[in-house]
Amino acid sequence: MNGRNKALRHAALWAVALLLLAVWAFPVLWGLLTSFKTERDVLAYPPKVFFTPTLDNYREVISGGSSILPNLWSSLVVSGWATFLTMLFAVPAAYALARLRYPGKRASGFYVLATQMLPPVGLIIPFYLVLQKIGGLDSYSGLTAIYLTFSLPFAVWLMVSYFEDIPYEMEEAALLDRAGRLRTLWYVILPQVRGGIAVTTIFVFLNAWNEFLFAVVLGGNKVRPVTVAMYNFISLEQTQWARLAAGAMLAMAPVILIGLFAQRHIVKGLTVGAVKGGGRR
Amino acid sequence: MSRYGSVRMEGVVKRHGSFTALHGMDLSIRPGEFFALLGPSGSGKTTTLRILAGLEEVNEGRVWLDDADVTHQEPGERDVAMVFQSYALYPHMTVAENIAFPLKMIGTPRAEIDAAVKEAAAKVNIAHLLERKPGQLSGGQQQRCALARAIVRKPRLFLLDEPLSNLDAKLRIETRAELRRLQRALGVTAVYVTHDQEEAMTIADRVAVFMEGRLVQTGTPKDIFMKPATVAVAGFIGTPPMNLLDATVSGGQVHVNGTPVAPAAVREGEVVLGVRPGDLRLAPAGLPARVDFVEDLGDSLVVHLDAGGQRAKLKTEPNGAAPAEGQPVHLAFAPESAHLFDRASGERL
Repeated sequence: MNGRNKALRHAALWAVALLLLAVWAFPVLWGLLTSFKTERDVLAYPPKVFFTPTLDNYREVISGGSSILPNLWSSLVVSGWATFLTMLFAVPAAYALARLRYPGKRASGFYVLATQMLPPVGLIIPFYLVLQKIGGLDSYSGLTAIYLTFSLPFAVWLMVSYFEDIPYEMEEAALLDRAGRLRTLWYVILPQVRGGIAVTTIFVFLNAWNEFLFAVVLGGNKVRPVTVAMYNFISLEQTQWARLAAGAMLAMAPVILIGLFAQRHIVKGLTVGAVKGGGRR
Repeated sequence: MSRYGSVRMEGVVKRHGSFTALHGMDLSIRPGEFFALLGPSGSGKTTTLRILAGLEEVNEGRVWLDDADVTHQEPGERDVAMVFQSYALYPHMTVAENIAFPLKMIGTPRAEIDAAVKEAAAKVNIAHLLERKPGQLSGGQQQRCALARAIVRKPRLFLLDEPLSNLDAKLRIETRAELRRLQRALGVTAVYVTHDQEEAMTIADRVAVFMEGRLVQTGTPKDIFMKPATVAVAGFIGTPPMNLLDATVSGGQVHVNGTPVAPAAVREGEVVLGVRPGDLRLAPAGLPARVDFVEDLGDSLVVHLDAGGQRAKLKTEPNGAAPAEGQPVHLAFAPESAHLFDRASGERL
């Protein structure tokens, strides 16, 4: 009875998991198939599941006239710098917000989040005007700075919960053990939020990598991230679906790789506070 | 007894916003003493310990360690070690790394650290667990690990914040005795916070009783048991605690509910009469009462009584003669076992 129940439960869980996987995987798999089709096969109706695969699309988006390699590089530079700078500032800022007592702490915590409540569209014009004034349009530093405006609050907010999960006594013990504030942070606190740092880094990188709106308006010929370049396959006359799909597969590759490597950390990060007991809130 | 590790606190006041946690406290602890800070939660005992550790700043007053004024010293500068209620072990380090941490922070050479870690671990019987992480230890083992981390650098003052409260009852009693033995062997001054009066009475050389942010009595466990300074202390110490009955003194006699129960050599007026449950006995004459119910604890009986609306407990040997529920009885006690307190101030008379 009990064993049968368990088996049923298992089967039900598998069914749900497969359904969710199918919903998520369908567009990706369809995109993958499309990327190996000729433009003719793409438009065939009914859609072809069996066809003669071609690598032409990949050849075109890698080394052809519409190569997206420079755009991948653009994305990497902007996302890399944005991620590095975000984490450099977010980790100490989150620690301070979680731990130190200073006047106006509650208010500053709120403002960090308040910036997240503005719709990005509303910021485009002011950002454009500011960058234009300081000559930051179509530049790596300009776009990176803009990315910091949304990734930094997000990262601070995420990291605060990790720091808050560490009991005060842990730090007090370290202070009594003569570690001092900086060494306490280095030896006792940071190792315990390693998972949080990994998760936050990944999320920040992904957000920057997938960003489109700011990139398309504030970038240009010099700085054109891959999300914008992809858009070039869609024009008034025609949409080059196969090339678009090949480009999308290339753009997704790093994201999927990171996801696979960091899977364990991400799951832990998403459930922070839910499974970790003993932390003081 | 060691010569180091004396503590003196003078006029210490601690406020948290509008709440005053300590109202001007004086305290002195002798070198090598096992000193318990006892009181209900919120009485200021943990605050006192944290002030000693340097984890809380005082608003007024001074703190001295071995005649040096440490009032404004950082925790790390005071040479004190603390065992936290939660143990506060570093979860990402092994037991050995946890114990080694305080030595590593003061730059002790590697070889010396290894030897000291082994020695400290052996003293608390966890030498076989050095390579484990705290998460792989039982509660008792974690507690020992925290102890080892505290004793490894031989501090002059050893602070313990309810270190046994997370252990089960049996382990708590075993560890209590071990803690006492360890402190004796090290000869270090220990300040021990607990809300468990039995724990304080059995473990400490001297006890300081805290009530509502005030130190109300300091003395040996025996002093405090025999001569509680206030009604509140009397009602806190003992298992079960002292019976406290509203009474009046007139004509050289203490009257409860109009019945004279003991001679009194204090001025006439409203008082509180305290009698320990063990000092109370059933007698042919005395204070009339009615038996509410009887608790059989195996080695003793606790008789719950109602004396004209005032509750009392009587503790006696389980010699078969248990009174029945609802039975009218008379209570008596030896005059010297009576404690009298002023009704208004709560002070001992």
